[in-house]
Amino acid sequence: MQMFFEIKNLRVRYEGAEVVKGVSLHLEEGEIVTLIGSNGAGKTTILRAVSGLKAPSAGEIWFEGTRVDGRNAQSIVKLGIVQVPQGRGLFPYMSVAENLKLGAFLRKDRRAVQKDLADVLVHFPRLKERARQQASTLSGGEQQMLAIAAAVMCRPRLLLLDEPSMGLSPLMVSEIGKIVREINATGTTVLLVEQNSRLALKLATRAYVLETGNIVVEGAADELMHSEHVRKAYLGE
Amino acid sequence: MKSFDVWMQAIVNGIALGWLYVLMAMGLTLMLSIMGILQLAHGEIYMMGAFLVYYLTRREIGIYPAIVVSMAAMAVLGVILERVLFRPRPGRDVALTSIVISTGLTLILSSAAVVGFGLYTKSLPPLISGSFDLFGAGVPKDRILAIGFSVVALILLYTFLKRTRLGLAMVASAQNREGSFLKGINPNHMSMAAMAIGCALAALAGALAGSILQLHPYMGSLPMINGLVTIVLGGLGSIPGAVIGGMILGLLNGILPVMFGAAAASVAPLVIVILVLLFRPKGILGHE
Repeated sequence: MQMFFEIKNLRVRYEGAEVVKGVSLHLEEGEIVTLIGSNGAGKTTILRAVSGLKAPSAGEIWFEGTRVDGRNAQSIVKLGIVQVPQGRGLFPYMSVAENLKLGAFLRKDRRAVQKDLADVLVHFPRLKERARQQASTLSGGEQQMLAIAAAVMCRPRLLLLDEPSMGLSPLMVSEIGKIVREINATGTTVLLVEQNSRLALKLATRAYVLETGNIVVEGAADELMHSEHVRKAYLGE
Repeated sequence: MKSFDVWMQAIVNGIALGWLYVLMAMGLTLMLSIMGILQLAHGEIYMMGAFLVYYLTRREIGIYPAIVVSMAAMAVLGVILERVLFRPRPGRDVALTSIVISTGLTLILSSAAVVGFGLYTKSLPPLISGSFDLFGAGVPKDRILAIGFSVVALILLYTFLKRTRLGLAMVASAQNREGSFLKGINPNHMSMAAMAIGCALAALAGALAGSILQLHPYMGSLPMINGLVTIVLGGLGSIPGAVIGGMILGLLNGILPVMFGAAAASVAPLVIVILVLLFRPKGILGHE
């Protein structure tokens, strides 16, 4: 059976040290899957390898029957794998509207892009109000919204989110959670990397727990929510 | 007491010089912010561009078509240099290698110019002859025309960066390199575009300088330094900042020699850099 997205035995090194030590995971089309783990566990590194920002030292990454590891970032985006990185990846001195347009950089269907832009602005009224403002003048939550909205402008098949809740107020965190659900409802598969395990397990159908470069637990999100190990280590109970 | 005429000419000369620095600063800024390199041989591109115009005009080609051809040729040279010398390679520090490579390139190009073009100064045919009267002082028309061309070039560049897909992508990759990768923007294409545009602007600046000043193999070093000072002064990445910086620097370079002689004037840019770095390190209009 062909998996929608699959990572097999991925290994990544940074300056000699192995940060990701043989990770395997997979996503079915339409799922929200989360990868949780503490700071430095290797979550971001896995996403960087998927997006072609960091070459893996071993292992394979497959997307819809195509092997994608070792490709450059541009061709990964072309295939429909779009990442919202930690720190949001925005262009701080460009306007909100320009950031959104750049999200659709690779798309040739100009008319559809215009329509998507209008749709996104309807969906994110806050961004519409601030369409001409520089991205750097937005609040943290608004910047995260903009980053996600810009990624949506690319019409991703698989959306990679790296700690979208980082540094946000609880209210904003639940707002972001809602947005992720809505995007998923339109048919976009989501791989959510989070330190906020409570949020992540609430959103996701399945979850992987990463510790020092290895997957230590995997399973349905609601099962993990009740597992002894996860509750102690990640939910602070 | 110098006559009004002399002051007026010094000011117009200064503004014309300032615009040449702005053109140089634009290219240096594009390469610095998009590619992360300090292209120290940019002044030599300016020199080569000017000499190409010189040899074209000697072959009975008009100065305007010659400038266009030279800009195009330098743009192509820029793309080749990016591909061959400045393209990042894994395991190499881009900033450091670019300084070493471009220093070498400076020596190679200026030595080649000494051998190929000779040490005698040459001059280009004027853009336009004659002068007109401004408040009773004679102002050469060619200076005004050179300023005009520079302004038009800058407006075109600004429009390109603000309005076109490629231009926006270039600005984006200057502001957040990795963020631009994740949008599917190809960094190599951006680097090629930065080099092409930068070198074309340097060729234009060189040609304009060659027509109002003189040509010689080392003509590029001063505008190169002043282009860098313009960036420091105006703030990296700010086009209005570069214009203000270029004007301040140009006017100083136009007026100070008249007041204190050439030696004192040549120190001025460096004094300015030190002052700016001490009191406002981000430049006049730069952001953090």
